Amino acid sequence: MNEEALQRSYKRFGLTPDASLREVELAFHKLRKLYSDNSLATYSLLEDGDLPDRLNSLQAAYDMILQSRLYSQPASDQAFPERRQEDRRDQDSRIVVVDADPQQKPGLFLKQMREARNMSIHNVAERTKIGPHQLQCIEAQDFTALPAPVYLRGFLKEFCRAVKVQDPDQLVEAFMMLYSEAT
Amino acid sequence: MHLSADTDNQSNEPRVWAIGGGKGGVGKSVICTALAMSLARQGERCVVIDADLGGANLHTFLGMPNPRHTLSDLFRKKVDGLEDILLPTPYENLSLVSGTRAMLDMANLSYQQKMKMIRQIFALPADHIFLDLGAGSSYNVLDFFIAANDGLLVIMPTPTSIENAYHFLRAVYFRKLRKVMKRLGVDELVNSSLNEKVRGGIRTPQDLMADLKQRDPGVGNAIALEMEQFSPCLIVNQAQRNENSELADEIAMACRDFFGIEVKVSGVVRADERVLISLNSRRPVLDMFPNSPFAEDVQRIVRKMTPDTEAEHERRSTAAQL
Ligand SMILES: Nc1ncnc2c1ncn2[C@@H]1O[C@H](COP(=O)(O)OP(=O)(O)OP(=O)(O)O)[C@@H](O)[C@H]1O
Ligand SMILES: [Mg+2]
Repeated sequence: MNEEALQRSYKRFGLTPDASLREVELAFHKLRKLYSDNSLATYSLLEDGDLPDRLNSLQAAYDMILQSRLYSQPASDQAFPERRQEDRRDQDSRIVVVDADPQQKPGLFLKQMREARNMSIHNVAERTKIGPHQLQCIEAQDFTALPAPVYLRGFLKEFCRAVKVQDPDQLVEAFMMLYSEAT
Repeated sequence: MHLSADTDNQSNEPRVWAIGGGKGGVGKSVICTALAMSLARQGERCVVIDADLGGANLHTFLGMPNPRHTLSDLFRKKVDGLEDILLPTPYENLSLVSGTRAMLDMANLSYQQKMKMIRQIFALPADHIFLDLGAGSSYNVLDFFIAANDGLLVIMPTPTSIENAYHFLRAVYFRKLRKVMKRLGVDELVNSSLNEKVRGGIRTPQDLMADLKQRDPGVGNAIALEMEQFSPCLIVNQAQRNENSELADEIAMACRDFFGIEVKVSGVVRADERVLISLNSRRPVLDMFPNSPFAEDVQRIVRKMTPDTEAEHERRSTAAQL
């Protein structure tokens, strides 16, 4: 990913890379609304027909930020290849049993899986590049603070992979179902 | 020349504020006078300079008769320096440089004369200097705006005022860009980039910056660093309390996204009928109605923009009590 373009995307929203996903979302929606509403602040900036391009470019900036958090490799993996092997070893493939029901309480299930594997929120955040706050919201099933479904789905998959859930698809679907019921 | 805004005034140099905003009649002169009055009343030595080409009238805002000495005298070399045409006003700590008869002279001001005047402004014995720039985006207006430590953009919550302000911002930005280029000795780069951009219909500083960086990363980054320093301040004047409370922030957001320019919001000044009353009485609002909503809003802006002065006064008044 182009580091400079990413920086520029943050800048457009008046943010820096340490902003939370929530902040990114808020800034994105605010700016989108500002252009869409043809408000006093923006109407003279856009000529007829410019709006769709403007909105697309905003969307692209937003997507770029989300993707950078989703798919980037943890830095330690690249810097220390031998540690990666160690990581593999200690990411045990032990089958752990937890008591939460992945269908009813997928958030709690993820939390218990994480704890069973002796991982902190911070460990998972590092591995998945998802913000600790987002992870906590997933565990608590706090739907108000989570990103749009398309990204949430990606987050959940990453989370499942990090804590080695046996049947991630089933958990993701259950979580998404609860999410759409709640919002 | 002073291109950088060093607001922590360690030296004895005055802090120079320029008040512009594109559109006529938005309240530049009223705000300029009020800012200066507010600081003068705190004991800061202030000078207001009437640098309005077409409609110099600051003396009237201060209740003074037609001034005997004006900028004309300076440009016609009747006096040696700016300091010789400093006029006392009826108010303590506040002096005026009038521009009344300087209309034609200002319009014909050569670049050298302008630069000399700017040097003299920074050499005046004062703590704060306020330049009332008048309307429009002429080179005179732009050059003073760029030279100042703080460039204040005054707008009204109307479509035309905001449109003019964007035009003004863009004009200042490109004027400053050309100066930076010239200093770095790379005017050619921008010229070719600019010309292509204009033909290609791309309009924002942001696009231009990206293009420059691509053509020549080293130079592009150096330029970008300098241009990032460009951060004008915004005042929304004659605001309706409820409707316009977020306008300033929204404009700042739009400037950031659309132009890539960081605009700082200085504050909002409410529409207040006392402004007209005081104008008709030829007394500054801060003198006639020191507790009016207008005065309150202006003082809030001054506090925000001069936190050190504020702290200094607190220190002094506590010391006086002891
Ligand atoms: N906050 C305010 N509330 C009410 N009236 C205001 C306010 N600010 C300015 N005005 C009115 O707007 C008019 C124009 O103000 P002013 O002369 O300061 O504008 P200007 O921007 O300096 O204009 P020009 O570009 O012609 O120099 C004045 O009549 C003044 O009474
Ligand atoms: Mg004026």
